[in-house]
Amino acid sequence: MKYTVDIVTENKPGVLYRIAGLLTKRKINIERINAYTVKNNGISKIFFTAEIEDRIVDTLVKQIYKIIEVIEIKYHKVSH
Amino acid sequence: MKHTGAEILMRSLLQEKVEVIFGYPGGANMPIYDALYFYEKKLRHILVRHEQGAAHAAEGYARVTGKPGVCLVTSGPGATNLVTGIADAMMDSVPIVCVTGQVAAEFLGSDAFQETDVIGVTTPITKWNRQLTHADEIPEAVAKAFYIASHGRPGPVVIDITKNTQFEKAEFNYPKNFYIKKLKTVNKFNNGDIEKAAEIINNAKKPLMLVGHGVLISKAEKEVLKVIEKTGMVAASTLHGLSSIPFDHPLYVGMLGMHGNYSPNKLTNSADVLFAVGMRFDDRVTSKLSEYAPHAKVIHIDIDESEHHKNIHAHVPLVGNVKDVLKKLTPLLKKNNHVNWLNEFKDMDKKELAVEKNKQIKNKNKLTMDVVLSLLSKKTKNEAIIVADVGQNQMFAARYYKYKNPDSYITSGGLGTMGFAVPAAIGAKIGAPKRLVFAVVGDGGIQMTIQEFGTIMQEKLPIKILLLNNEYLGMVRQWQQLFFEKRYSFTHMESPDFIKLARSYNISGEKVVERNKLDSALDKFINFNGPYLLEVKVEKEDNIFPMVATGTSVDEVRLE
Repeated sequence: MKYTVDIVTENKPGVLYRIAGLLTKRKINIERINAYTVKNNGISKIFFTAEIEDRIVDTLVKQIYKIIEVIEIKYHKVSH
Repeated sequence: MKHTGAEILMRSLLQEKVEVIFGYPGGANMPIYDALYFYEKKLRHILVRHEQGAAHAAEGYARVTGKPGVCLVTSGPGATNLVTGIADAMMDSVPIVCVTGQVAAEFLGSDAFQETDVIGVTTPITKWNRQLTHADEIPEAVAKAFYIASHGRPGPVVIDITKNTQFEKAEFNYPKNFYIKKLKTVNKFNNGDIEKAAEIINNAKKPLMLVGHGVLISKAEKEVLKVIEKTGMVAASTLHGLSSIPFDHPLYVGMLGMHGNYSPNKLTNSADVLFAVGMRFDDRVTSKLSEYAPHAKVIHIDIDESEHHKNIHAHVPLVGNVKDVLKKLTPLLKKNNHVNWLNEFKDMDKKELAVEKNKQIKNKNKLTMDVVLSLLSKKTKNEAIIVADVGQNQMFAARYYKYKNPDSYITSGGLGTMGFAVPAAIGAKIGAPKRLVFAVVGDGGIQMTIQEFGTIMQEKLPIKILLLNNEYLGMVRQWQQLFFEKRYSFTHMESPDFIKLARSYNISGEKVVERNKLDSALDKFINFNGPYLLEVKVEKEDNIFPMVATGTSVDEVRLE
């Protein structure tokens, strides 16, 4: 199933790399990604869309949330 | 007053009450080592012989003290040599703080001498890592590193400090009462969840508790005993949960998993409630997931939310520290007993014992690993710390040493790192100098980190090394025998004269080749004042059973 994952994180080097690593570990390919900083408050937002198996999506999202800098995470199915 | 980054690092480590550093100097951490020269009395430095040894020693230290172990290495190969140890600590939730030197900031990315992208390499195997390029970043980074390593689910962290940062001067201001909100609130269970869990346990007919490493990490051994004694629940342990419940407790039925005991594996599938306490349903425990515990409602305590439903669906997931959860839960549990259920285990234990007895009769006068470990257990009154390597030696040590006190069985469980035992025993002995520490190793694993004999020699550490030599990579050979029609493909190993080798490191030793010499050799080994290597030439083709073969259900556990 295709999912979009929305992440709010502290703007620190390496966060995107950690997220990408968790996807690589499960051979998940990012289809679309967008990341930007929010003004000057040290916060970044990252959105990505990828094909993720239903049975693992919840665990994967919780694993991303374990990244120390990640503040908030949500995910939803992409409807066509 | 301004201090160099190296000096700031020393002061920061002291703020974290660090007492011991396992390390190895090199080009990119020389300023740190120069500062350390002046802190020799406050910060004990253990010079390892290979950086992997530093990481495992830090793990051993952390496992017995509960405090983060600290490693200090140089850039490039120094850091990459740490990688196996960091990955090991990640898999087994062991708090270690690794400080790596790095080339000067101006050379970053230029493929400078001994430059490696340490942040890149260690990201997938750390809880957190950070590269520092300015001295004033050090205090907060160190505070953060120690907090992260030891709070929530423990794990490894890396601080990569460029060489210019070590020279650069800055003020030393250490953050006070530092915390990270996310890791401060670990208990996310609510009263409703606790009530639900209590109701399920109170109505259970065949409840089985599975205790894991989380019990030892949160020091919840007493709380676990309260729950099982009140409810009459039967309890089994994972490999890392060993020693959290005394071996002779009437409700304790032994070890789970691939080479665990017969009854807890077999009866997992009869249980109507599984109460998983600080364990993660590793594949070595569950074996075939689709046939695991089909009748059981699962209550799962884990401090790491992402472990819930990862492998096994939990009917009641409880996110929190094991000790805190059990303290809340126990008052709601009804006094009960499950004698018939317990007797099912006892009946099955008889089958396992009968097979064992037959083996002993057959092997009378032979040197087998079970006999060696059983005798060691008896002769040390079940009170030693056993640091096991990986393979058959690890499983025999898990099963035949009788663990009485917590934090007594230390091994590499998740990563399964051969070579773990000798350096980890160094860390364990330094962390628990009053306890007897044994490294239990095979002839394969010992040669992966045998250079740490040098560390033992230099530090005069009275570590006892029990080498079980079967001239094979025994666990792989066992699988070749059982699943590859005895094609022993490259598992036979010729080795040096280990006793002579040890002697050259000033480590005394003896080799036992006959059963009737074992008793006296063990006595000498245990009582010897100083480091000692006891090599036992064990049966070459001995196997560890019971066994749950890969891809089969836990109730298909084989007795032989």
